[in-house]
Amino acid sequence: MIFAVLIPLIIACFIPLLSKLKEKIHTGIFVLFVPLSIFLYFVQFLGRDFNPIRHTYNWIPSLGINFDFYLDGLSLLFALLISGIGALVVLYSIFYLSKQERLGSFYVYLLMFMTAMLGVVLSDNIFVLYTFWELTSISSFLLIGYWHFKERSRYGALKSMLITIFGGLSMFGGFILLWVVTGTTSIQEMINQVDVILDSSYLPLILGFILLGAFTKSAQFPFHIWLPDAMEAPTPVSAYLHSATMVKAGLFLIARFSSIFSGSEWFFIVVSLVGIITLCWGSYMAVRQTDLKAILAFSTISQLGMIMAMLGFGTTAAVFAAIFHILNHATFKGSLFMVAGIIDHETGTRDIRKLGGLITFLPITATLALFGTFSMAAVPLPFLNGFYSKELFFDATLHLDSTTFLAQAIPYLAVFGSIFTFVYSMYFFFGVFTGPKQLDKLPKKPHEAPIGMLLSPIVLVAGVILIGLFPNIVNAPFLLHAAQAVNPEVEFHKVAFWHGFNTPLKMSLIVIAIGIILFVTRKKWSKVYTILPGKLSLNKVYDQIVEKLDVISGAITRSYMTGSLKNYMSIILATTLIVSFVFMFITNGFTLEYDYLADVTILEVSVVIIMIIAAVATIFTNHNIAAILVLGVVGYGVAILFVVYRAPDIALTQFVIETVTVALFLLCFYHLPKLRKSTDSAGTKMTNLFISVGFGALMTMVAISAHSSNWFESISDYFVETSYKLGGGHNIVNVILVDMRGLDTLFEIAVLGIAALAIIGLIKLKKDKGAQ
Amino acid sequence: MSNLAVLPIILPLVSAITLIFFNSKVNISRKLTQIFSVISLLVSCYIVWKVFTDGTIILETGAWVAPYGIILVMDSLASLLILTTNLVATVCAFYAPHAGLEKKESYYFYPFFFFLITGVSGAFITGDLFNLFVFFEVLLMASYGLIVLGGGKVQLRESLKYLLINLFSSMLFVTAIAFLYAVVGTVNMAQIGERVQEVEQQGILTTIGILLFFVFATKAALFPLYYWLPKSYIVPNPVISALFGALLTKVGIYSILRVFSLIFVYKLELTHELFIWVAGLSMVFGIIGALSTNNIKLIIAYNIIPAIGFILLGIGTFTIDGISGSIYYLIHDMIIKSVLFLLVGVIVYVAGTSDLRKMGGLIHYYPVLGWLLFISAFVLAGIPPFSGFIGKLLLLKGAFASGHIAIVIIGLLTSLLILYSIMKIFIYGFWGDKQMLGNLEKKSTKGLIAPVAFLLTFSVLLGVGAEFVYPHIDSIAAYILDPQIYIDSVLKE
Repeated sequence: MIFAVLIPLIIACFIPLLSKLKEKIHTGIFVLFVPLSIFLYFVQFLGRDFNPIRHTYNWIPSLGINFDFYLDGLSLLFALLISGIGALVVLYSIFYLSKQERLGSFYVYLLMFMTAMLGVVLSDNIFVLYTFWELTSISSFLLIGYWHFKERSRYGALKSMLITIFGGLSMFGGFILLWVVTGTTSIQEMINQVDVILDSSYLPLILGFILLGAFTKSAQFPFHIWLPDAMEAPTPVSAYLHSATMVKAGLFLIARFSSIFSGSEWFFIVVSLVGIITLCWGSYMAVRQTDLKAILAFSTISQLGMIMAMLGFGTTAAVFAAIFHILNHATFKGSLFMVAGIIDHETGTRDIRKLGGLITFLPITATLALFGTFSMAAVPLPFLNGFYSKELFFDATLHLDSTTFLAQAIPYLAVFGSIFTFVYSMYFFFGVFTGPKQLDKLPKKPHEAPIGMLLSPIVLVAGVILIGLFPNIVNAPFLLHAAQAVNPEVEFHKVAFWHGFNTPLKMSLIVIAIGIILFVTRKKWSKVYTILPGKLSLNKVYDQIVEKLDVISGAITRSYMTGSLKNYMSIILATTLIVSFVFMFITNGFTLEYDYLADVTILEVSVVIIMIIAAVATIFTNHNIAAILVLGVVGYGVAILFVVYRAPDIALTQFVIETVTVALFLLCFYHLPKLRKSTDSAGTKMTNLFISVGFGALMTMVAISAHSSNWFESISDYFVETSYKLGGGHNIVNVILVDMRGLDTLFEIAVLGIAALAIIGLIKLKKDKGAQ
Repeated sequence: MSNLAVLPIILPLVSAITLIFFNSKVNISRKLTQIFSVISLLVSCYIVWKVFTDGTIILETGAWVAPYGIILVMDSLASLLILTTNLVATVCAFYAPHAGLEKKESYYFYPFFFFLITGVSGAFITGDLFNLFVFFEVLLMASYGLIVLGGGKVQLRESLKYLLINLFSSMLFVTAIAFLYAVVGTVNMAQIGERVQEVEQQGILTTIGILLFFVFATKAALFPLYYWLPKSYIVPNPVISALFGALLTKVGIYSILRVFSLIFVYKLELTHELFIWVAGLSMVFGIIGALSTNNIKLIIAYNIIPAIGFILLGIGTFTIDGISGSIYYLIHDMIIKSVLFLLVGVIVYVAGTSDLRKMGGLIHYYPVLGWLLFISAFVLAGIPPFSGFIGKLLLLKGAFASGHIAIVIIGLLTSLLILYSIMKIFIYGFWGDKQMLGNLEKKSTKGLIAPVAFLLTFSVLLGVGAEFVYPHIDSIAAYILDPQIYIDSVLKE
């Protein structure tokens, strides 16, 4: 099975070679065999007595990340959709995309997506699933941005990536939590531990994280906004990724985890509510669109919402209806996207306001569209599959397991959403194919599409009709297994056209009756869109977020990245100061012991007083020389202290350093700018004073405490003992420097050497440049 | 005891000194640099193999026994970091001749390069706190040399800030060592660990630890101490940026990992809780910085900060998953940061600008460059199956398992924004009409792409081939969490 998943990716690696031949043979012809053979591979599993199959291939077993492919009814349904629709889409694309396009890239992305999507639906391992999940987002990003010279494509690609990867990362968070809670990375094993998950205090978090992933991917309200912009992708891609397969990954995820989460009341509430809102909002908004693909995009959003709602219901009837509709939606929506592509291809526009009366020019396309739209509208005819699943949906809304207010409201909302579904379906068909011809507005003279381009939608429409006429041929060998994978309690029920004059049928009739009225009078009530959504726009929210992200981050960063060293230092010092003091306080760190103190003589006191005066004086001097001389006093004071403490060699070093520093300064004094009087405000000065005094206090207190915590023998005694014995020298400092810690000395010398080289480089390279 | 442990310090030191003499002969310098770096790389491979088969290599320098002399401790963690360092250095050595360094190459660029490696390697290996300070000085001085090389006004101004802030932290470092020595009477890290344990990190010790944390945090560029980083890292040329971005900050975070797993581990609820806060703030402010600019070099430079935040997060949670995540992420980030700096170097070179608003359509001329950047974006954001993913998975698991929910959410959002910040370069720089290129000439990227692609394969391998790496990292984490092993291996008698 790993072969079936990875073969598109492997073939993708060879595409760049094949696309060299594209002048002679369209690259798509080679590619076509890939989904076709995968489809045939999966078809063999169809049948009444199908049992789940598992194949494991190790990847990172030590982290529990393995290719655990698990083929049950649900994954089989998706695998067949992915490969089947995939084959049709590739076939369609051969005629849709001319050889002048960058076919190589197109098919590489498409094959990459195929592998990714198959991986998502077949992986039992959460992290492998996540890997493929992100890969679908990435390939979708590349396909939306395929015509990246268009501004809208770049916009749409970025938008879809940000939203879907946001969801992906959230799902990833949920998966990690599930892993932490259950200790396993296999979904099937998690299902065995339902109680552990449901009892976990992390449950709301897990649920929230995973649902966010599903909702963003399946374009649920309010994350649906990326899908209409994804329509910038070439139409075969829209038909494939953004209608039939990728956007259903979220549904798949919910279906997969519903046997775990359906035990939680929140799962029902959130998923049903989001689904039903999406259904209504999507269909309501679809009527307003003028671009054919935009109508279909909102229609897809709405249909996904409907399936999502059914998965949320969780009852056996609802689950079966959801599965059934996943299949039906793929057939009619896939064909409609291809129809939209044909219209675009043959007339040069997708703007429904410019189209009309095309039935005489594109009779076959019109026929295909007729079946597609009427099936979508769920017109009660025995050869339209859309009607069956819609009936089941209505039925499911009436038999919910819940008595909450939401459950009461759902049937009404379902009808409301379906009315608009009916309206936009009619709008799509009649707007394009009937009415006045406006040939002068079309960029091209319309004519029927070549047979190759019609082939794929014909197959899909044949599916619509076939499933419509004989709904039970896909039922037992196929849908039932899928539904049982979601909810094991689903039992076999014959799907029939006529159930008597029951409530669902009445609901359908209400939908059609009001739908017709609304469709006919749509010009009169279209003003309603100026009220809702009116100026409210989720797109604007997204745009604002992205734009504000740049603006605000700029403002924040500029506010502290002032470029002023003084600011930087005060923040660094203040932070160190405050945090260290807090830590000293809570750990009770300050200690003061008088035991280890030497006597203080008058000499030391006076030296220290002089040093303090000198240090303070540096702040108030306005003259370079005065400042450096006063600073020198501090240095010499330290040296005197070294003398007092009987460290003549260190004192000598200190004297030399001070002298050299002052001398060096005097040498370059001429070139230095004059000290300016500080222009800081009193407040800044106070802060600076506070920080510097505070830092001094901190250092002093730590030093006192460190000196007072004399708990251990120092290793220096060893140096005293061994200096002569092992080191051969009476001067311990020398032995330490050149022998005991010779490595330190070696590299301190290196530091001096580097400094010298740096100075040479600094001076000479500048000179060279000056010469040029 | 084996002299093997000193080789990663001595080889680059000798290389640096040799190269001083070939300073004016650029061609010989280039070839020698490449030869030396490959030798170092091979030696470090051998060392890793040796350490992983025979265990930690201890070298008591000058035969002065522990804890009195300077001890070099080549353990599994140090050896892996040495290997990564040399890998990055080798790639830089092959990239540098084509990087348009011009005159800089004959002003001790290559000696500084090797001095930098010396300092970094030394910091990884040493088991002596004062010696660590010395190696910090070596690598800082080399970095000062590199950063001022051929400096214009802007470069000198930024270098000065870099230099002064680092000078301050060095002063604080040596002061903190003195405080610590006053309390525990030793500078040998194993013995410090032992003694701090003995008194249960009481009294002033935690405060001294915090002072050390701030020293390392300044070098590691953690919030709010990273001011020196963004501007000073983008001024020099891409090779220098890559070395800085990949190595310098990592030495800082490595030191935090060492010191706060070996020495100061007895007040976890205080110190390590602080780290988690700092980690979160670093992520947030770092990524905000990356989003605030259209300068593509700055975007990469700011991205250093959240990465360090992620590494610190693992140290903060202090679980086995957290620590292995930190180590994985550390190695991953050393590689990917140099890849990104080098890539952006090429982009700036071919586009003639580092301003994203003036770019567009580069993919028409430079498809390979574009796709390398594309993959790097996903590597950096921790999208599977690349190296960042494994690290992030472990880090977030560690954070969840220790009950830190908020930080995980911050981490996930940061990942998204990291991806966005790099993807912006791809979308606005590479995508677009051919006309956007204007009258830009197609430039040769010969010799620039191959080293970067080579390095990037390691990011991919570290992710896809995690099974060959992760178990080792896991055992290193277990070793890190048990300081007694380190202490015993150094103070064995």
